[in-house]
This record gives sequence, C-alpha cells and structure tokens, in this order.
Amino acid sequence: MSTGKKLMMIDDDPDFVEGIRSILVGAGYEVDVAHNPKDGFKALQAGEYDLLLLDIMMGRGAEGVMVARKLRKDPKLRDMPVLIITGIREQIAFLFPGGAMHPHFMPVDELVEKPVAPQLLLERVSSLLEMAAKRKG
Amino acid sequence: MEQPHILVIDDEEVVLDSCLQILGGRDYRVSTAANGERGLRLVQEAHPDLVFVDLKMPGISGMEVLEQIHAADPTIVTIVITGYATVDSAVDAMKRGAYDFLPKPFTPDEFRLIAQRGVERRRLVLETIALRREREMLKEHFGAIVSHELKSPLGAVQQNLYALTQELSGVLNPHQRERLSRMETSIDSLLKLIRTWLRIYTTDIDRIAEAFQPTSIAEVVSAASEAIQPQAIRKDIEIVSSIEDDLPKVNGDQGTLVEALVNILGNAVKFSRMSSQIHVAANREGGSILIRVADSGVGIADEDLSLVFEGFHSGQPGEGAERGSGLGLAITRRILQAHHGAVSVESKLGTGTTFSIRLPAVPPGAETIDEGGS
Repeated sequence: MSTGKKLMMIDDDPDFVEGIRSILVGAGYEVDVAHNPKDGFKALQAGEYDLLLLDIMMGRGAEGVMVARKLRKDPKLRDMPVLIITGIREQIAFLFPGGAMHPHFMPVDELVEKPVAPQLLLERVSSLLEMAAKRKG
Repeated sequence: MEQPHILVIDDEEVVLDSCLQILGGRDYRVSTAANGERGLRLVQEAHPDLVFVDLKMPGISGMEVLEQIHAADPTIVTIVITGYATVDSAVDAMKRGAYDFLPKPFTPDEFRLIAQRGVERRRLVLETIALRREREMLKEHFGAIVSHELKSPLGAVQQNLYALTQELSGVLNPHQRERLSRMETSIDSLLKLIRTWLRIYTTDIDRIAEAFQPTSIAEVVSAASEAIQPQAIRKDIEIVSSIEDDLPKVNGDQGTLVEALVNILGNAVKFSRMSSQIHVAANREGGSILIRVADSGVGIADEDLSLVFEGFHSGQPGEGAERGSGLGLAITRRILQAHHGAVSVESKLGTGTTFSIRLPAVPPGAETIDEGGS
C-alpha cells in the first residue's frame, strides 16, 4: 500500500529518526533522511519531495530555524509543507518573543512535540499534504 | 594544585634561607624575593598559591605589597611576617585581606604549621570558586542540560516503542502488548516530570508581572476546564462551572492563570471518584475575586493539608488515576503569589476537597483607563 508520496526528514538523532520513519513507511510513505541541515537542504534541492519533517534543535543550536528561513527564500521550496517535530515547545516561545507557541516559519506548517504518537503523526502528515495540494489548486 | 607554590618576600637573607630550608622538599615549591618590587614581579609571573610578606622592608612597604597582590589576584592567600611582634600592625594587615600573621622570631614548626594552614586556605578558596561557578553554570544551563541529556534520549525511546508496537502488531500477544503499553505510560510520566522541572527552572515566574493585563476570569475558567477535559472524560467526570455575571477583571497574565487553575483542576480530577462532578465557582467578594474548585473525592488528611503546596508532595490518588510529580500545586501557589493573590485548601477525608483562589479585582473605572491607554 503506497501513497506515492515522498517525504524528507532532517533530524540529527538517528534513534528518533528510526522511530518516526518506521511509522511513516508502515503507512505507505517513502522517507529519505538527512542527519544534518546541510545535507538535508542539498537533498531537498536535488530531489522532488512532497513534505519535510524538520527538527529544530540540531548541531550548535536552533539550526532547524535556519533551514526554514532558507526554504522560505527558495522559489522551488517555499511552498513545501513542513512538519516541525521538536522537543522544545516551551523554549520556542523564547526564541520568538511575543510570538505564539507555534511560530509558523512557513506558509504551510504544523508543529508537534517529540515524541509523537503514531496516530497524531499520520494525521498531521496527511492533513499538511492535503493543504498543500489545495493551495496548488 | 599538585605542588603548592609558596613565595616569601623578606629583605633579610637569613629569613629567606631558613624559609627555604624549612619548607624545602617535595611538598612545596618555594620562591623567594628580597624586596617588594621583585616579589610583585614574581606574583605576576608565577601566580603563587601563598605569599609571605614581611611588613617592614625598605622600598615598597609590606602593606603596599599586600594590597597590590590582592588587586592582582584576590584568590592568592597572603600571610604577613611581623618583625616587631606588635599585634597592631598584624591586625591592620589582616583587615586589608591578609589571612594570618607570623611573628618573628619563629620556630621551624610554627612556620611549617602556618604555611600548611595557608595552603589549605588557598585550596578552599579555589574549591569554593569552582563550586560557585559550577552552580551558576548549572542554574544558567539547567534547561538546556535537562532538555538534551534527559529529554531527547527518552523521547527517542518512546518514539521507538510507538513504532515497534505498530511494526509488531501482528506478532505480539495481548500480554506482550500490555507490557509495551505500560512502558509507554511510564516514559510518558517521566517526560511530563522533566517538562515540569524545565518549567520551574527556566522561567522566572515573578517576571510575568511585567506583562499583566486586565484578564477575564470567565475566560480563564473556560480555558482551564477545556484543557482538563481529556483527563475528566476518561473518568467520566463532569466539570460544572458557575461564574457570577459582570465579574470584574483581574490584573494578570492569562496563560499562567490558566496553568494555575489547570493544576488545581487536574488535582481534583485525579482525586475524584469515577462519574462524579467538580464544581468551579467564581464570585466577587469585597475587592477580591474568589474562585472555588470543589470535588467530592477522597479528601486530604489533616496532617497532609499543609504540605500540598510544598512541592514533591504527592497524595494517594483515587480510582484509576496516575500519580503526580507533586509539583503542580507548588507552581500554582507561585503563580498566584506573583499575581498578589493566594490559594488555600480545605478538605475532609472521604468527603472531598475545596481549593480557594483569591485574586485582587481591578477596581471599576481603572480598567477602562488602562485599556484606553494601551
């Protein structure tokens, strides 16, 4: 049972990645993984992906935020739906003072907290894909 | 400090020689200087652990030398050598930061003992500084440390439990599935506990006062009731609220007030019997707003009543409930204190518990001025 959808995941914790990937693969998604922002961004530019799963705290700090900023500036990638998976829901409010808990880095994005229950993960992924399809018209 | 470095500054060569002889050996590294200038230069270059300074020297005076050493490095321990055994000059030197004094003439044993004490003092000074620095670091980075060192690996474990439960769904027998699910529940409570710690250590609740605004109690109650619904539904508990009409607002921060009430409601749900009710009432009382949360649960024994707001106190939960971290009500109290309010509790074992929150109401008229100004 394949959905025909290809997802990219950028997260520097290989153990966590496996726990997410297995759930998505089980639901018929194809999932590619990058363990750092640089490789991830390269892969996104080179390939055709339907959705990005993005970690925030990587490397020396909130490098996931940098990825989101770069995506927003890229004409090819700016409409890519993004599911932010982060362990730092509380601290995000400090990174963006005055903003809501959910910072909305991208036109189409959602935020879930680590760890994420399978049902919630699959629900968020499919609703983001639907929203992106609608925007395309 | 493997081999403590001791510097002796004295203009009498005899004294320097005997010092070298007395302290020589493997225990200490000893340097000498025949006057203040040379001594200070050595202090700058070698950063000794302990310096003996003769108070009466030609050139720079012993007092001056002391002051310059303390200015250069306040952690260096200094001991003055007083040639004329006047207590006055020794006391004066100690007022200026010297740790001890050595009256001339001295026996080898006296000198050895005082040197040993001075070196010990230096060790304690350095240790205290290191500990203080560590404590500051911990305080400052506690959030990041906890979040990375504890939360991330636990999160990954939980994620893999979720995934494995699905991957193995065709293979697992009910007993195995039950064990996996119990592991998930345990890790879930651990993660919740870590999140609560993070909340306590990384946010300064007193600072929320900087962003206070006129806040509607009706909105706080309804947001808190909504937040607690999932837990309430699981135990078939109904939350019944009655808010007095035209209740004045309170000056506060809606987010933390909701959190304060959620903690109390969560507690009420936890200690309530299945299929019971929790009553939330908000009324005006003089210049205050009184919010009461009453359950008909297991109640709290008198001897435990004073402990519920203390933190790390967790009661025996009612039917089908999870144990808490015992921190929720401590946070609630801190939040209400920051709002110039208070929280109190009355309870009867077997009958139920009532929590009362009291908050100062915004006086009529003040609110409109405030809103017009913003």
